[in-house]
Amino acid sequence: MKYKDELIRSMEWLSEKDDTTFIGQSVKYSGNAIYNTLSTLPDEKLIELPVFEEIQMSMSTGMAMNGLVPISCFPRFDFLMRCMDALVNHLDKMQNMTEFTYRPKVIMRTSIGSTNPLNGGVQHTNNYTNEFKSILNEVKVVLLDEPEDIFPQFEKAYNRQGSTLLIEHGDHYNDK
Amino acid sequence: MISKRILIDFETEVKERYEAGEIKAPVHLASNNEDELIEIFENVNKDDWVFASWRNHYHALLHGIPRDVLMNQIIRGKSMSVYSKEPKFYSSAIVGGIIPIALGVAQSIKMKDESNKVWCFVGDMTFESGIFHESYKYAKNFELPIQFVVEDNNLSTNTPVDETWGGKQEVPSDIIYYQYKSDYPHHGTGNWVLF
Repeated sequence: MKYKDELIRSMEWLSEKDDTTFIGQSVKYSGNAIYNTLSTLPDEKLIELPVFEEIQMSMSTGMAMNGLVPISCFPRFDFLMRCMDALVNHLDKMQNMTEFTYRPKVIMRTSIGSTNPLNGGVQHTNNYTNEFKSILNEVKVVLLDEPEDIFPQFEKAYNRQGSTLLIEHGDHYNDK
Repeated sequence: MISKRILIDFETEVKERYEAGEIKAPVHLASNNEDELIEIFENVNKDDWVFASWRNHYHALLHGIPRDVLMNQIIRGKSMSVYSKEPKFYSSAIVGGIIPIALGVAQSIKMKDESNKVWCFVGDMTFESGIFHESYKYAKNFELPIQFVVEDNNLSTNTPVDETWGGKQEVPSDIIYYQYKSDYPHHGTGNWVLF
């Protein structure tokens, strides 16, 4: 299967779980590439949010504390930078701070903006994978390079305790 | 039932143990807001979630965290991030950090059709911040089961809140609000401690 089809398959598999919900901007309404991997999901599984990435990240954390598994979608890596406090100081510290009493499972999706055929420029195409791997301790960071990596990695993200950040390549939606 | 005397005595013991060098981490002690918190917690149910800041010992005791459990966490350096699963309690030492987490718990309670609610205690500097107002707006518009409480000592560490903002905003009527002036400094006890 191709890159985008594997993403769709993964999202459909996740949507069959009772405890999952998909949240973010453009999960219910078109506007970015990730939307195109969610359009087959039932409407009741989707929560369209305002643009407030920091709150989205911590909302996801809170939902996970109470037993849900949010699939929290951030359309571009550049936009994920707006929730660094929520990610680094809170979600990534919670197991340590609570001595493993709270182990929120948030599955985060983001994408390295595509450069072909349109180049989004310096605010829309950055890849901070190595920086995030360096700064995050409890949150697992996974770069989705190949189509065959995708489904197993989402499966692992759902089945492991703790949270996972899965990073897609926007260009691979077309070229793989 | 946690009385005012129990709260004051607990905080006094923390003070003494801190000054004895037993607690090798910052402590943020409370005083003079016992009556207000006791009254508020009369409406907090056992199964509710409570979110508080770094100054959280009173909230933890009033929500039912046993005295010895709490003291043990404090001695192990967790005064700023006291936590509990039963009762449901979480705190954080970053301004504004708990608010959207509490919002997410409230969202999940509504989604799961649970009957409990969330109590989110913030200081007055946090109340003035953007993250509070976005979270409050979202909670109000979607009628999420969350009650915000603003605890106003007009200080953020030692910075006067009204001076930095050039004034303060009006507190909406659906937010519980009280003012107090603590006898303790922002952190520590005010006395020199040799660790």
